[in-house]
Amino acid sequence: MTAPCRRRNSPLLEPFADGELPTDKTVEVETHLDECECCRESVELSRALKLSLQRAVRSDAEPSTEFAERVTRALSAERERQEERERQPERGRPLAWRFIVPVAAAAGVTLVWGALDQQGKGTHPDGRISANMATSTPGVTASLDQMVDELVSHHVQSRDPDVVEPSQINKLEPEVGVPVRVPSLQQYGLRWEGASVIPVRQLNQRAASLRYSYDGHRVTLYVYNSAQFPLRATLEPRVVRNMPVYVGSRRGYSIAAVEKRGVGYAVATDLDDRESAELVASIH
Amino acid sequence: MKLFPSLSKKPASTAEFEREAVQHLGALLAVATRMTRNGTEAEDLVQDTLVKAMRAREQFESGTNMRAWLLRILTNTFINRYRRGGLEKAVLEGPDADPLADGWVSASTMSAMRDPESTALRPVLEAEIRRALDELPEEFRLAVVLADVEEMSYREIADIMGCPIGTVMSRLHRGRRILKGRLYEHALDMGIVSPEAVVGSGDAPVSLAAFRAKKAVTR
Repeated sequence: MTAPCRRRNSPLLEPFADGELPTDKTVEVETHLDECECCRESVELSRALKLSLQRAVRSDAEPSTEFAERVTRALSAERERQEERERQPERGRPLAWRFIVPVAAAAGVTLVWGALDQQGKGTHPDGRISANMATSTPGVTASLDQMVDELVSHHVQSRDPDVVEPSQINKLEPEVGVPVRVPSLQQYGLRWEGASVIPVRQLNQRAASLRYSYDGHRVTLYVYNSAQFPLRATLEPRVVRNMPVYVGSRRGYSIAAVEKRGVGYAVATDLDDRESAELVASIH
Repeated sequence: MKLFPSLSKKPASTAEFEREAVQHLGALLAVATRMTRNGTEAEDLVQDTLVKAMRAREQFESGTNMRAWLLRILTNTFINRYRRGGLEKAVLEGPDADPLADGWVSASTMSAMRDPESTALRPVLEAEIRRALDELPEEFRLAVVLADVEEMSYREIADIMGCPIGTVMSRLHRGRRILKGRLYEHALDMGIVSPEAVVGSGDAPVSLAAFRAKKAVTR
């Protein structure tokens, strides 16, 4: 029996078997394996385990015919729903705005203005939602612009988060006044970093700020009471995934917002505005 | 790197997407079954995953690995639906590996556990794997399935599980250590390896009696 090698517990062996080591370390391990039966067998056993796991798990669950049919039916139903939806707005882009106006109106834009200190109404740069902006004054637009500025400034400063544990995030709820949950953005490669509550001085309100990182970029997601944060008034409306998204940019950062059941979500990123819009539209 | 590469591409039609996605039904179901350990839940999880994927198909970059993409949705759905907030606890409270298994066994014993005909484990041990896998704490099981069965990189697993790469490595290490320990025990029972081959975490050999006594305590 060969004496056990003191390197058999080396943290390099498993990553080596997984093909995760950089070249120099790979060479180092290979050189050692050439002369050490114990570690060589350890790596072989890891590989055997991997192969057997693959065979065991893959051979394990053959989908039944009933199940395959059930899935096919579910997908066909979903496909028909989507195709139905795609047929509708195909008559050109301007039509899409018809979708937004009723939604914006139904969400109670007048209520939003009522919450502001100044008795004014907002306006939209191109006036496409002018129905709701009949009595706009420049003063309010300026203060809303400053609010967007504030959010972007906060995104840029990026102070350390108060809450790091995702399960603790609902503790922010009393301060923000709306449910705060961590949306699953991992599928885009976004990594959760933490959350805090930030004051928005322009409105004398508070918002939750959820921070993510993405490939070296920072993404901040704000969650707020959409009745108190008329973000849409200063941003440009677009339709993304059949829902209205409000998009704009400040100082090279893009900001995009959606509203769902009275809760507003806005992302501030240094990505381009289409990506920010896609990202915020994917929150559900 | 683009967050939404599909923005500059035309998405696949729903019919094309449906055809391709259904080809991965078996692979998805296999992983879902190991995750949920329940046939009905596994089927629901897979169906849910495919419908979600179909809705989000614009985000899929055609020409890339659809199976990996679907698995990511499946794993996220599983974590969100079944295990929100409960995962860390499972790891902290789950059974740890037998420290003796960390000292592991001699080269000849490890060699004896492998099938001389193939590069896999001996068939009699392979038959035990599924049960051993099911008994792993959830986070270890998930990491092992994603790394060993789906051959995802540490980076991909870290993204899916929402934890640092170091945590993935430690979960993999602990999960595999438990699996190897279980398989070794089974190999002993089946007489494939002989008990005196056990080597302790130090350099001194440890008796089978001590090994088993320890095992009984940790159970």
